[in-house]
Amino acid sequence: MTDRRPKVVGFCCERHGMDAAVLAARSGRQYDASVRVIQVPCSGRVDGLHILKAFEDGADAVFVIGCLEKNCYYDTGSIEGRKRVEYVKGMLAELGIEKERVEMFNAASTNAWAFPEAASKMVEVAKRLGPLDMGGDTR
Amino acid sequence: MSSGRIQVVICRCCTESPKLLDIAKLEAAANDAELVMSVKVVDEICDGKAVVDVAREAAEKEIDRAVVLACHKRDVSPALLKAYRRAGIDRSMVEFVNVREEVVLPHVDDPEGAQKKAETKLKAALGRVTMLVPLLTETEEMRTKNVVIIGAGVAGMAAAEAAARAGAHTVIIEKSSRSVKAPGILMSNTRLVATKGTPGNYELTIMAGEKTEELECAAVVVATGGGWNSLKGPLAKASKDAVPLYKLSEMLQAGHAPKGPVVIVDTPDPTGKSLKVMDFAWDEALMTAIDVKKKHPQTEVFMLFQEMRAFGLSEITYKEAAELGIRFVRYDRTGVPKVDPKDPTKMTVTDLAQGELLSVRLGTLAFAAIPANPDNRDIADALRIPMTAEGGLRRGGIQRWPVATPRPGIFVCGSAVFPKSADAARAEGEAAGSMAAAYASKGTVEYGGSVAQVAQEKCSACLTCIRTCPYEAPYIGTANKVEIRRQLCQGCGICAGICPSKAIELLHYTDDQIQQETRTMLGGDF
Repeated sequence: MTDRRPKVVGFCCERHGMDAAVLAARSGRQYDASVRVIQVPCSGRVDGLHILKAFEDGADAVFVIGCLEKNCYYDTGSIEGRKRVEYVKGMLAELGIEKERVEMFNAASTNAWAFPEAASKMVEVAKRLGPLDMGGDTR
Repeated sequence: MSSGRIQVVICRCCTESPKLLDIAKLEAAANDAELVMSVKVVDEICDGKAVVDVAREAAEKEIDRAVVLACHKRDVSPALLKAYRRAGIDRSMVEFVNVREEVVLPHVDDPEGAQKKAETKLKAALGRVTMLVPLLTETEEMRTKNVVIIGAGVAGMAAAEAAARAGAHTVIIEKSSRSVKAPGILMSNTRLVATKGTPGNYELTIMAGEKTEELECAAVVVATGGGWNSLKGPLAKASKDAVPLYKLSEMLQAGHAPKGPVVIVDTPDPTGKSLKVMDFAWDEALMTAIDVKKKHPQTEVFMLFQEMRAFGLSEITYKEAAELGIRFVRYDRTGVPKVDPKDPTKMTVTDLAQGELLSVRLGTLAFAAIPANPDNRDIADALRIPMTAEGGLRRGGIQRWPVATPRPGIFVCGSAVFPKSADAARAEGEAAGSMAAAYASKGTVEYGGSVAQVAQEKCSACLTCIRTCPYEAPYIGTANKVEIRRQLCQGCGICAGICPSKAIELLHYTDDQIQQETRTMLGGDF
């Protein structure tokens, strides 16, 4: 398991987040293959539990990407998403895990750079902090 | 949970350009997977022949759910979903995997990682598709074809004409006694008080004069406009020579000489306490000032402002104004313009450039500020639509339509959103009118699909979801537990994410489905 690449999970909202990712791909931007995109209808759908379970299942870093806060398709969705992420950050700090491992990003569907930038930032964080040791029986 | 007969469709067009993935391996992986009854590799899934092939095999092998490895789900031909529907597979049972934009294109330099990722994605999708349940949609008849337009201004009239042209029954509600020639019914002296009902079947309560009436409608267009009805703010009250900017401009057009000196101040409430300003008409203010100076060169013109926003080509206008000898005085909140209470023709202001108290004689006082329509608050409350910080009505996210609000069937246009020129307001009015007519002419509203669902035995009626939902879909039902109004739910899942008791599930994106997908994706070694 020494050469295991960092595993990054990106919860991506179906609206601006996914559109930004698609646009990035179409404009030829590259990011690390270790980023796993999970599509959710809205970043407000992401529950703290989903993020924590992702860590438990072997993720080294998790990010949530949603619409811009003032242009969210579901109005308050990305604000709610950010709140959840902040909450999880607090929980991680209590558990003694670096809270940089989880982050919230916002993108407009026309921002081709937004998704690859978020992805590579989180890959970098995961590489810098190393694999997450959950201590004991991880899956 | 593990039941079903799955068909896997791989589109070469999406997965093979650029050549990166080993399709044969993917096909083998699909063939080896449990419950997979049919694997079709097609050249292009958007090709009609391929669709027919896929659908025929689906019908032959009695497939009930499908995984499609192609591009973004919105880009895949809708013919595929139609063909699947004919073969008895609901659209909610078809899982799209975006191999093109999530695997192939972003990982061109990493074929090995991409291959593993594609295989894992296929595995995750196969896992997910077995957990899907068909989504139910219901339809409700619209009881009327009415389109109600609030406001008979420029935008409102354009909306009414566009809606009437498209065959809707229009009812215009106008609060003043203004009488205009309009298609349909015009109700003057009428105000909107409250709204009930669901999208497509709104029930408006209106006050026509002193009478309260009920009005059913399918769609609403809000065109309340903006700008001054009557001047407000301390400066306007202090001087009897205060006029809105457009009055000054009209006076000049009519050939009257304004009483000099002319002072144009940005807002009648420089401390910003009592008046919210949507925008400043700086262009118009500069033009009017130039007009004054050109027609009456002897008249002194002052422009008092905190922040002059004359950008783009207005810069030239600004330069011209300065060359004509219009005096620009910048002030800030520490030295706002004041009218002397003893002598209402004297105004004092601290000039920031000089740092000195400047005293100006007042002939005519005009304001560049455009305030929001004060009725917007009542309208927004009645229709349950959001407002901007400046007091305008807010549009929904830009991925909805440009004139749409977050509530289906309610449209906004013109200066109700933010100040616009008459042309822009007319264009927006037409857009909103035709959108509303199109909405009303459907005759039925479809709802359901991927909506929230409450497990009432888990609900502790804590009201968290009711406070959080942007669309007011959850409510406390008869059993003192939360229920969801399916007509209002838009399927964002914010309530499902925030519910502390985990009582709410968003169909199609349940906790199980999301966690299962995450786990499978993390299981892959790439």
